[in-house]
Amino acid sequence: MTKDSRPKILVITTSHSSYPGANAVGQARLAYDSNTYIIRVPDPVMFPEEFYIKALTNGIAGIIIMSSGSDCPYEGAYPRLAARIQSTYTKMKALNMNINRLKITTICTVCTESFLKEIANMEKVVAA
Amino acid sequence: MSLLNTVESAEPKKIAVYVCHCGGNISDIIDVKKVAQTLSQYPQVSIATEYAFMCSSNGQDMVINDITNQGVNRVVIAACSPALHETTFRNALKRAGLNIYLYEHVNIREQASWVHKQDKDGATHKAIALIKAGVEKIIRQDALDEIKIIANQRVAIVGGGIAGMRAALSCARAGLKVSLFEKRSTLGGNLNRESLIYPTNQTAQSVVDQLGSEVKNNPNIDLLLNAKIVSVNGFAGSFQINFIDLDSKEQTIGSGVIILATGFDHYKPYEGEYAYKTSPFIVTLPDFTKILDQSAQPKALLYEGKTIKNIAFIHCVGSRQMDGVDTPLEGKNLNEYCSRVCCTSAIFTINNLKIKYPNTGIFDIYSDMRTYGLEHESLYEKASKNDVLFIRRPLEERPQIEQRPDGTFNVTSTDVLSWNEQIEANVDMVVLVTGMVPSDISDLVDNMKLPRSTDGFLQEVHLKLRPVELANKGIYIAGTSQGPMDVIETLNAANTAGVKAVSLLSLPEILMDPFIAVVDDDKCTGCGLCISECSYDGALTMTDKIVNGKTKKVAQVNGALCVGCGACVAVCQPRAIQVAGWTLDQFEAMVDAIAKE
Repeated sequence: MTKDSRPKILVITTSHSSYPGANAVGQARLAYDSNTYIIRVPDPVMFPEEFYIKALTNGIAGIIIMSSGSDCPYEGAYPRLAARIQSTYTKMKALNMNINRLKITTICTVCTESFLKEIANMEKVVAA
Repeated sequence: MSLLNTVESAEPKKIAVYVCHCGGNISDIIDVKKVAQTLSQYPQVSIATEYAFMCSSNGQDMVINDITNQGVNRVVIAACSPALHETTFRNALKRAGLNIYLYEHVNIREQASWVHKQDKDGATHKAIALIKAGVEKIIRQDALDEIKIIANQRVAIVGGGIAGMRAALSCARAGLKVSLFEKRSTLGGNLNRESLIYPTNQTAQSVVDQLGSEVKNNPNIDLLLNAKIVSVNGFAGSFQINFIDLDSKEQTIGSGVIILATGFDHYKPYEGEYAYKTSPFIVTLPDFTKILDQSAQPKALLYEGKTIKNIAFIHCVGSRQMDGVDTPLEGKNLNEYCSRVCCTSAIFTINNLKIKYPNTGIFDIYSDMRTYGLEHESLYEKASKNDVLFIRRPLEERPQIEQRPDGTFNVTSTDVLSWNEQIEANVDMVVLVTGMVPSDISDLVDNMKLPRSTDGFLQEVHLKLRPVELANKGIYIAGTSQGPMDVIETLNAANTAGVKAVSLLSLPEILMDPFIAVVDDDKCTGCGLCISECSYDGALTMTDKIVNGKTKKVAQVNGALCVGCGACVAVCQPRAIQVAGWTLDQFEAMVDAIAKE
């Protein structure tokens, strides 16, 4: 099979919240483009700045971090994640990378509309 | 106590990939034969096949047979969401004698075939990429042992309201010892201050008395009244609850599980909010139920020497507050949530008022009538038949209250039901239908690092997947500590918490998923950055260890306290600390596989 030439979007979801949210999109038989790849993590707070920069350098066009926001079950994880993404933006700017390629948002288990909207927005960013 | 063991296997990795058709749910969209064919060419994949229903006993037997007879030692199953069948396949691996964590589940149904119906080629391509990512993850996966903790067979329950009592009885009847802590001198909590409860029309006191009597007579329950929790240490299976007892002495009790039944407070409006405290005739619903209960006047409600002929009830006071419309209490956030139970409570009270004083005129001003529940809608119907005048206001508008010289009130509101007509009601009393707010347990929250929702109530991990569980292992929540609930919901939630506690302590050892931080002592430089990132006291500490013949300072994980969030991982430059089963190396390999495809 030939390589997919479309820009790839990586969606990082949380086991507790946005991963079930992504499932809810499927259960509702809603649709989005197939160039999106969802991975699940306990919490995206585990990723250092370099993880995002490496992914964006090595072939991922855009990353959406779908966190649990202030409803995160892990104490202190969301403020740390938000701070880390801010410092990733600083590093991206220093590397002349478009910071819109990395988006942090909050998606819950039933946020199907918001899920689709975030993907549609990122599709516009990576198509530009 | 046995903590985490990661087992690095020396034997060659032999990976089997199974692609499920899920009837046609997957295979109608995704070319499963092409997926299996492509994966069969992928490095280290020995077997790649597809099957109609992998979750069927035939599908599971296929996996077991390949492990037993073909030497497969890593399994990737591409099928539905892992939420449905991860446990099914873990058990299949266990039956085949393979470590249950040497299996990766790839979701190609909810997140591929069902969302890309119009793009079969794209869905097939995506499935291949996701499965390759799964293979890359499982290649880097070591066998893991579940964490085993010898559990103290006692349950500590904080709060002696109906939720705490109900949970205590559930645990005690199953044979567990229970310590029930109540800060006040009596059991019953908020229900002691209520009169009748819906839908059964029982007196609140009778419910409290019945539960209290059972609690006091149960030999498995140690009742600790006037007990103030000072601090909680430890972890699932072995908590220590430090408290000050009746005699002001500090004591410690151990438990394997903690249930928090810390209840709620009634919202108390600030002075001037809906004219509150400007007149004794502006009262909250809890106050009004007492006034009604205590009134002995035969024909009309008498209060403060005044006969009450007409009353306005205003819903959503302190609930569903809106930015720019409402003012929060000092030092608090707006309560944007619906308090759920107050509509039914108000309507129930109105019906009781109408039974006692049928000639009282009632104006009920609401935005949305939420009398949810099997028998609660009938309460609303009854109120409608009782000539209650319902006025539906727009959500963003607030009724205006003006006191007249004769001491009565003009209450003005827009009525959506009569095409936005302005309705003015002249009443003798205004009842503010207040909701529930979280009780002040900030000391406990800080001490135990308990997660709270944006509304301030304790936050369960997941409504459906892990109800009444906190992210903190071995700690459950019961009743209104979690959010507004009525009496029946509270008792049900408390029973659930009790059953979860019994389930966790059903064996002498607690088994936990081993997805917690692990430290590679060789790589650890002892910088301590990971500790400053950790929010859980005692989960990460520095210790001296002999590594390669030399003593060095390294990070050490307490497996029972670590929740596996991974905050420590991001700051560890040499990658000495990782979350077992979810390592950074695994994720990087997965992303590379997706990017390359």
